[in-house]
Amino acid sequence: MRTGGGWEEVEFNSREPVYLQVVRHFKEMIVAGKLEAGQVIPSRRELGTLLKINPNTAQRSYKEMEERKLIVTEGNSPSRITQDDAVLRAIRAELLGEAVDAFVSAVRKVDVPVEELLDLVKSKYIEALSSSPADIAAEGGAERP
Amino acid sequence: MIELKGVRKRYRGRYVLNGLSFTAEKGNITCLIGMNGAGKSTVMKAIMGLVPVKEGQILVDGKPRGRWMYEKISFVPDHLTMPLSMKMSEGLTFMADFYASWNAERAAELMRFFRLEPGEKIGNLSKGTAAKYNLVLGLAPNSDYVLMDEPFSGIDLFSREMIADVFSSELIEERGVLLTTHEIGEVEHLIDKAVILQNGKAEMEFDCETMRSEEGKSIVDVMREVYSR
Amino acid sequence: MEIHRFRYILFALMGLTALVQMCAIAFNAMGEINERNVYFEQTGRAPEEFFAAMSYTRAVQETQFWFAVPVGLSIAVLVIYAFLIWYRDWFGRGTFAYRLLSLPSERRNIYFAKLTAILTFVFVLVGFQLLLMPIGRAIFAMIAPADQLQPSYIADAIFANQVFKILLPRSFAEFFVNYGLGIISLLVLFASILLERSYRWLGIVYGLAYAGFCALLMVYPLLALGLNYSTGYFYTEEAYAIQMAIDGLIVVASVWLGLYLLKKKVSV
Repeated sequence: MRTGGGWEEVEFNSREPVYLQVVRHFKEMIVAGKLEAGQVIPSRRELGTLLKINPNTAQRSYKEMEERKLIVTEGNSPSRITQDDAVLRAIRAELLGEAVDAFVSAVRKVDVPVEELLDLVKSKYIEALSSSPADIAAEGGAERP
Repeated sequence: MIELKGVRKRYRGRYVLNGLSFTAEKGNITCLIGMNGAGKSTVMKAIMGLVPVKEGQILVDGKPRGRWMYEKISFVPDHLTMPLSMKMSEGLTFMADFYASWNAERAAELMRFFRLEPGEKIGNLSKGTAAKYNLVLGLAPNSDYVLMDEPFSGIDLFSREMIADVFSSELIEERGVLLTTHEIGEVEHLIDKAVILQNGKAEMEFDCETMRSEEGKSIVDVMREVYSR
Repeated sequence: MEIHRFRYILFALMGLTALVQMCAIAFNAMGEINERNVYFEQTGRAPEEFFAAMSYTRAVQETQFWFAVPVGLSIAVLVIYAFLIWYRDWFGRGTFAYRLLSLPSERRNIYFAKLTAILTFVFVLVGFQLLLMPIGRAIFAMIAPADQLQPSYIADAIFANQVFKILLPRSFAEFFVNYGLGIISLLVLFASILLERSYRWLGIVYGLAYAGFCALLMVYPLLALGLNYSTGYFYTEEAYAIQMAIDGLIVVASVWLGLYLLKKKVSV
């Protein structure tokens, strides 16, 4: 588990609300295993400095995540990632769904039978996974389909 | 909250500010955007009382601007405003002498953060270093509001990044920041509110995240729209 | 702080004055001794027969020009600085005016700081000059042979110099008038400078007009009311009183104007 990693600067898109992009970043990190269930996350202030965003934005993103039950804050202790499995699975499904949707709409322009497509996806995916072993070793928890 | 109402200011015959009204709230970072000569610096100077304003009102926390607010508002101008023969450390002492709100510890911390040599003479500083020193002078006091005029102009990339970092740090927290800049790119994702200045008026005043979520537009997009009207 | 900024120039002026004046005295003394020796060599007679005893007073009188040079220079520098003390804060790479005008303290303090600085410089130089006189006398006494020397009073020595007659007058009344005139001019100058800083181009016009107007007012009693001759309409005392009143008015008006402009109208 990398505590320092994952908090590097995120390239923010100027057309989407920054706070939502932060939320998505969190989701990605949860799904990628960089953030574990129940893990303590930096305070609002710290997040601002880490991601180089306005403290107000950090505040807003935390509020959003709390509403979506992504993070939990008990009393005065620091916030943590939720341990609710249902939520975690829902996030995974959401991100997977988004990625697949994007892929599908991109690939629809090419006329190809589904089996060929699936074989191609499988081989490309395995290729991608094996070409960056360092990442896998460090993550130590990345899920493989 | 800093509030301008119907401010008009003449300069060499023409009205640089022609009925300008906008607000900059405490706890937010507000950015004044405008073309060269649109009057951004004039607005800053007007708020600070460096330039007299005959028409319109400038209110700070509900009261008309005046000498009382100098402990609460810091100004970071776009060029050096200290005697050139002074050393940086002497400049800090100067500020400490005059301002009750001066925070010497924070000043020292900022000097370290920006890696400034206190013994150096102000006249010998490069542009980037001078800008950082100006920031020290402006951010060290325990002021409620900080006004920054073009904090990035003419500065090298790395110094700019350092300065941009200030906006996401606790130095800014709970203060109201009003800045002007051309380098929208550097700060696009840091600003809470944008005010676009054109023809001496606030052509648009909007919350950035709302603009992004409701209309999917970045600040630059809005600027383009406004200037092509 | 204002004084601190000027200290090098001030010390330079003082040093220069001391140097020039003392050298002048020394050269004069040596020159005179030389003349006497030459006389002695030429005529074989004792110099006392031809020459009066050497006196510091006379030396001062003879070296007037050299004495006046550093004084004139100092005056010129101070006049220029009366302008610069304001303008240097506006022009140049570090516009200190931004800082000064946004200090939490009253702006009038800036005005008075600059005013007192200039006045301090003036009186330091005057005092220094006074100090130099006895020093000069000592130097003279060291150079001149004792038997040829005639004692001098400092007061006489001062009086022997035309410039000093004005700058180091004997009576308080004269002092008051001479320096009072200078101070009034300074105040009018400050007001004019601030007019320019408030209104720029138009301000120059205002400034000149104001200065001109004040000048006219000052001389009006002298010219029109016959202050200088006793057959005028008013009694002399009355005329003086009118003059004083006008002067007082100008002082008050100039200071008030300066402060008002600085507080409300001045621009960076």
